Amino acid sequence: MDAGKRDSAMSLAMSLPVILHLDIDAFFASVEQQKDPRLRGRPVIVGAGVIASCSYEARAQGLRAGMPIHHALRICPGAVVMEGRHEVYRCFTDCIFEMCRTLSPAIETYLDEAYVDLTGTERLHGPAEAVGQRLRADIREATGLSVSVGLGPNRMVAKLAGKAAKPGGVRRVREAEVDAFIAGLPVRQLPGVGRVRNALLSRLNIHSIGDLRAVDRRGLTAVFGADGHLLYDRCRGRDTRAVNETEVPRTLSRETTFHRETADPDEIEGMLYYLTERAGRTLRRLGVQARRVEVRLRYPDHKNVSGGTTLAAPTDRDSELFDTALARYRRLHTRRVSLRLVGVALTRLSLATGVRQPDLFEAEVCPEARGRPGLYDALDRIRTRYGHGAVVAGRSLELLNTLRRDDFGYILRAPSLTK
Amino acid sequence: MQVVEIHEPVKVRADFLGGRITPLFLKRNERVHPLVRVNARWVDRSGRQSRHYFSVTDKAGDVYQIVLRGEDMVWMLENVTVP
Repeated sequence: MDAGKRDSAMSLAMSLPVILHLDIDAFFASVEQQKDPRLRGRPVIVGAGVIASCSYEARAQGLRAGMPIHHALRICPGAVVMEGRHEVYRCFTDCIFEMCRTLSPAIETYLDEAYVDLTGTERLHGPAEAVGQRLRADIREATGLSVSVGLGPNRMVAKLAGKAAKPGGVRRVREAEVDAFIAGLPVRQLPGVGRVRNALLSRLNIHSIGDLRAVDRRGLTAVFGADGHLLYDRCRGRDTRAVNETEVPRTLSRETTFHRETADPDEIEGMLYYLTERAGRTLRRLGVQARRVEVRLRYPDHKNVSGGTTLAAPTDRDSELFDTALARYRRLHTRRVSLRLVGVALTRLSLATGVRQPDLFEAEVCPEARGRPGLYDALDRIRTRYGHGAVVAGRSLELLNTLRRDDFGYILRAPSLTK
Repeated sequence: MQVVEIHEPVKVRADFLGGRITPLFLKRNERVHPLVRVNARWVDRSGRQSRHYFSVTDKAGDVYQIVLRGEDMVWMLENVTVP
């Protein structure tokens, strides 16, 4: 190939989008196996109450995330159960995501996965497959953890490619291969198809992504509403979402199981305050506001109750969120028995506009409310720098005598929810 | 497996060669535990100073989690995992 042709081939390759998706295999369980070699090769469960993560040895025996632990132990009595510590797992992901940031500034991270936009970096880093192989080897060297890497022309295909490479592999699906690659995959793997939709599609004899293509756009929107448009595009391998795009989540929730079931109103309301405060901090970090506050309770007999209250206007202030959550909690907790779990969910989220409808009487009733945005801003900055546990405020002071604490805040029983 | 929380200062002899910290001996209650393996290491950078955590196995096969606190350069024994 002459130099001119090579240059034009190179510039064509550079203009094609390449997204890398990285997923840490059996994350929490793998960290526990790294920390204690005696656990390697054994079925390991991390979680409290339900499985948050389990090792591949446990998965081979039929265990899955979300399964109640007592049920899992009946299937696999030899499994080792660890409660897990999210603050340890976060240190591992910090290290891994920092390595991803050396590849591209466009990166989007989640609990145990990340998307990296490698578009246009080929001349700098070399071919995308080699980047994936190198990243996987570097992560293994630095942390001992196994990751799966998927490469594709968009986020969705990259993630599906990564799933096909599990555990510990690298798989690239090029633009021309997308059709053939995704057509044979189960429709359940398509983003937007959960358990309920999968059951519905099964009844329509649609089992693979290729089967779904037989349904036209009108048919899909008739069944799934606006999501039908998304499914129509996704089953054809189209996904235009950019990496690092600020997405408004549908809901933001924080919940935890108590270390011991409790009926102490101070402890329950203190935990509710703490969870609301943590959710509120995330709300402000994402730059969104919530219009609805929902509370969820679980009794010792595993019966759940939940309910929510819609606010007059969207807010990201802890005090307003907590007052609403507290009022709802008091209406929900009607049985005179202890609680096993408490949770708060903020829904109907929208981007914060920076403009807030002022309350005519707020300054008269509560003059200090004027300074609250500044107070939250200061608290958030302190906690970002020194950890959430640097400031213990309000009703969560009640938890000081009952829960252990570190720089990240109280150590809750459910590790994945202490995030 | 049971994790026994300890959280007490301990003496650790470590190698700092090439900027990489490798704990070699752990002294607790006047007893020296030669460390035969570093199972995992991670750094917590969330505070003002970094904290370097290590999971180590001693000659007897016990697994300890130790931390070198950046703020005062004190080694702490965080916990020990017993079978």
